[in-house]
Order: sequence, then structure tokens, then C-alpha cells
Amino acid sequence: MTDVFAPSARGGSLFGASASFRKNTAYWVMVLVPAVFLATLYLTPVISVMVRSFVEPTVGLDNYATIVDSAAIRSVLGKTAYICFMTTALTLALGYVTAYAMTHAGQREKYVMFFLVILSFWISVLIRTFAWIAVLQPQGILNDILIGLGLIERPLRLVRNDIGVIVGMVHYMLPFAILPLFANMQTIDRTLVPAARALGASARWAFFTVFLPLSLPGLAGAGILVLIFSSGFYITPAILGGGKVVMVAEYISLQMSETLKWGLATSLATCLTVVVLALTVAMSRFMEVGSAGKRV
Amino acid sequence: MSETTKNTSNSDAIDVHSDDFQKDLMKILIEKSSKDPVPRRLFLKTAAFLGISSSLYSMSPAFADENEIVVVNWGGDAVTAHKNAWASRYEAQNPGMKAIVDGSGPSSGKIKAMVESGSVTWDLCDRNNIAAVDLGRQGLLEEVAYDRVDPEAVPEAYRLKYGLGSYYYSFALTWDTTAFERTPTSWKDLWDLENFPGPRTMRKNFEGQMESALLADGVPRDQIYPIDIDRALDKIKQIKEHTIYWGSGSGSQQIMRDGEALIGNLWHTRASIVNRETDGRVDYTFNEAILFAGSWLQPKGAPAGKKAWDFAAAAQDPASQVEVFEFIGMGPINPKAAALVPDDLRHRDAGNPDNLAKQIAADAEWYASDYGTILNRYLDAIAS
Repeated sequence: MTDVFAPSARGGSLFGASASFRKNTAYWVMVLVPAVFLATLYLTPVISVMVRSFVEPTVGLDNYATIVDSAAIRSVLGKTAYICFMTTALTLALGYVTAYAMTHAGQREKYVMFFLVILSFWISVLIRTFAWIAVLQPQGILNDILIGLGLIERPLRLVRNDIGVIVGMVHYMLPFAILPLFANMQTIDRTLVPAARALGASARWAFFTVFLPLSLPGLAGAGILVLIFSSGFYITPAILGGGKVVMVAEYISLQMSETLKWGLATSLATCLTVVVLALTVAMSRFMEVGSAGKRV
Repeated sequence: MSETTKNTSNSDAIDVHSDDFQKDLMKILIEKSSKDPVPRRLFLKTAAFLGISSSLYSMSPAFADENEIVVVNWGGDAVTAHKNAWASRYEAQNPGMKAIVDGSGPSSGKIKAMVESGSVTWDLCDRNNIAAVDLGRQGLLEEVAYDRVDPEAVPEAYRLKYGLGSYYYSFALTWDTTAFERTPTSWKDLWDLENFPGPRTMRKNFEGQMESALLADGVPRDQIYPIDIDRALDKIKQIKEHTIYWGSGSGSQQIMRDGEALIGNLWHTRASIVNRETDGRVDYTFNEAILFAGSWLQPKGAPAGKKAWDFAAAAQDPASQVEVFEFIGMGPINPKAAALVPDDLRHRDAGNPDNLAKQIAADAEWYASDYGTILNRYLDAIAS
């Protein structure tokens, strides 16, 4: 933040104390307007959701007891955790390779790769989801190719199950991993690996002992970011899962709109919020939010 | 805006004055929207865009236009059909009134949110006889104004206290005619993996699904209700491995059209569209289909009050019901309409007396007994 105000701070020496006061006022107004906006339009509904989880249908912790006791809800939460971790692991693996290639590519190639990564942001999640059905279904493109090549005899079940959901989610999440990983790798001193090589390290050894440790903060930050986003997926699992992969977001939505069990819905939403907040705090450490301004 | 900023320049004051900020925003919205020809709709859209919850709708009655009613259905072609066949008719019969057809989907959750916050913006909702009993019992609905509609235009079973039958639809056995040697005829065939192998599809909601499972399991059609939930879920689990569960009607069309499933339990309206689109490759039967009645419901405290039922009255016209049937397949519920259906389409009319005899009418009382809990049990049973 200090960088933002650097020019006006320099100007302060010309106009004296009043300018510095004006600078502070401007600063507070700039912070307060979005703060008020968030407090009224975001925080109030969130708090009312949390309150409802303790008072509907009866006052107390009944809803939370249901979450702990119900085998059905445990299986929804278990499935959500499994899909999230699989998605995060695969996204990080693919994202790391892509970001590494981008970091070491020539300027022209870098631009092309960047454009291709950004491109997927422009396609709506619903269109992507149905596109994956077209690719992965038994009569789909992928199965046709595999059968045509003689690699398989019967079509593989690649969609309307866990596999389909994970493929769709990894595809959606990749840019969210690639971009922070790429940003992190850009900050790694490009002369360190050649220096290690000059001192006799093999290519692999230099990567694992020099480059990888330096990219760990980026990897952790990207991983938590992907995990947070994954926990709230709704449309992708609902369609690609064929009804058998019910994740927590869809379950909450059904309790709100169909079963009218709002106490259960809001208590699950509260649990999800707490988990996401905890992950955000963890991420802010890895991403070094506070020291972001120090970097050149 | 400037006032708001002043009020909140002290961080302690944020919570106290947050209301003012909302009110200011809403005032702007209200001023803007009251000049618009379709004020409430724009208002709702803008409010939704701003992420403002329905609890803030309480400020809206000030501009609820007396000369319009808002009818809410599930979107897509139904908006066009209801506009052309029913809204135009209603407006012709009630000069000076305007009917707005809103396709945003009158889910139980949205109705409850509106009613609980005391700020209802919908006048008539396109739901079914189950919701009429279920939501009526929960105190979320107004009673049907039978002095404004023709009771005789609806079979007695669908003249409910809180819901008036508007059309027929059913869950019908649907299959790909190129997939099997024999033609499937009953729900038993949906469970028969030997003679009818391949992926199947059912709905990701228990409506019309539990009945098909019990019929396949040999329960006589007059003993389906009350449904033996454990027995039905066990039966459904038997073919779970081979079943894709559809969520939306359009999703079920895609599954059958693309051959992702070869046999299934679909809304007959959707099955009839796929039948047309595939030139008959996908077909369906009313035999053992589970029959529901689309029903008009009025949320408690609807701004137009009893006037809204004039729309339901306009929609009772037999010719207009046939028009909707020809456009999107919903079976006319007015007994007088069956004779107006063209001969070549009669076998597709769920309300045709011959077809009615083949179907099993859903028992709304059973559904309303504990809808939410049964739905959650069903979801748990089908999730792997």
C-alpha cells in the first residue's frame, strides 16, 4: 500500500502538514467506502445465515449435532473432501509443469502460453461442463479415438462419476494454479540453477535442491487457493457426477430450495465458511500478502 | 452516497448505519424502476445483480403496480407458451391489466424466503399438486379463489385448497428404439438388465421414481401408497451402478438424445421433445406413467391478491390449453380439452381419457407427509 501513496507523500513536502492530513483523509475514505459496502451487502447476510443455523428450527446446537450424527451428511462431506484433494493434487501437478515451462520459455512462446491460459476464463462453466460430456461420454470423442486405435474394446466410463467430476474441476482450476505459480517462479533468481550446475550438481539435483524449494511458497499458496475454490463447486459435480457425486455446495442448495431444511443448510454453510476462512488465513501466510509491496 | 459516507466515517458506526446505506441504494432502485414499464421485474433483476437478499424486498410494496400480476414459471419455452396462450388471453379479458410471465423458477425456497420476509412479489406460481399440499400445510400459500375460477374445468382430485390444477405431466418410461430387440412396456423392463442392457437414467429427485421402483418390484398399482421407502430405495440401488441421474429436464433430453442412456424415467413432456428431435428414435409410453398435476399456487400475501386468480381462470380455456400442449407437451387438464386435440396427437396427450386410465396418479398427501426427509434419503441412496 505504501507504494500507492509514494507520489503524494513526496508532494507532502511542498504543501506541508495539511496535505499530509488530506492524504490520510483520502486514505480513510478509500478504505471506508468498500468496507461499508462489504459490511452491508456481504457481512450482514453472512451473519444472518450463521445466526439462523443456531435458531432454526429450535434454538441450540441441534443442526450441528445432525451434521455429526448423520451418516448421509458425513458421506457428502467425505466425498467433498476426496474430490477437493484429488482436484488440488492433479491441478498442482499439471499447473506446476505448465508454469515451469512458461517461466523458461522464450518471450514469444510465453505470450502465447499466457494467452491460452487466460483464454479458458472466457468460456462459461456450463459450456465447459457440457463440452466435457461430449468428449468423455461412451460415444464421445475420446472413447471413439481409443476404440479406433484398438487400445480398448468397450468404451471406458469416464463421465457421470468421480472421474468426470475431477477432470472437469481440474480443467476449471488450472489457471488459478498456473498464474500464482508462474508469478512465484518469476521471482526465483534465474542464475541459481546454472550456479548449482557449475558447482557440479546434475540437472535433476539442481532442480530438487534449488528450484523446487524456492517455489514451495507458490506451490502451497496455489494449492490452498485451488482447495478453497474446489470446496464450493456446484454445477460441475452436479452435471458431470450424474447424480452420484453430491458435494456440499449442491447439498446446501437442495436444503435451501427443495427440502426447506434451512437450519441444516445454514449450519453446513457456516462450517464451510469456517473451513474456507481457516484456509485463507493459512494462504495469506504462504502468499506473503503483507510483504507483497517489498518485492520489486 | 455522500450522506452514507459521512454517517460511517467512524468505524464503530458501520453496523448502526448500514441500514441507511441499503435504504439509499434501494431508493435509487425504486425511483428508477417505478418509471419502467415492467418495474417489479427490473427491480428483482437489479436487486439480484447487487446480491441483495430477499429480506430487503420488504421495501418493494410501495411500487407494486396495481395493474399488473406476476406469474412465475420455470423458464425456457414455457415462458413463450404461457405468454402466447394465457397472458394474452388474460389481458384481453381484463382490460387495463398486464400479466408478466417470469421464468425464474418458483422453488419452495424462494417462496418461503419471500413469505417469511413479508415481501412477496409473485402473484401466481407454476408448481404441482404436491407443493400445493406441502407448502399449504406450512402456511406459505393463499387459498384458491374458487369464486374467480371455474371448478368444473378441473377434475375434482386437482381442486385443492391451496392449488388449482393447470395441466397434466407424468414420469414416463422412455427408451431408445434402436437399442433393444423388444419394445419395453413397463417399469419391470427398466430394471431388466438382461433383456434391456445398457445405461439407464432416472431423476435426481424421488418424485415419480419410487413408484416406478415399486411397480417393477411387483407391487400392485392400487397398493403403491403409502410408499414402502426402504423397499423402493433397495430396488433403486439394484440398478444404481448403471444409472445416470438427471437433474434438469433439458439434461434428461441430452442424455437420451446423445445415447448416454438407452432407457429411463423421464418427464413425458421432455420425452416428447426428444421423440420429435430424433424423428422417433427415442419413444415413450404412458403405460404405468406416474401422473402429476401442474398447479397454480399463490404465495401468502401476494400483492395482486384474489385478482391473480383471473389469470388461472383465463388459463382454463380448453383451446388455450391445447395450444400449450401442442407447443410444449403439457397435457390439457380441462376435461373439455381432450376432444379439441388433433387426432394424430391424441396418443401424446397425458390428459386423454385412454392415457389417463394407463397412468397412476401421484398421492400428494403421501409426498407432503415428510417431503424433505424422504428427498434426503433418496439422495443418500443414489450417491455412491
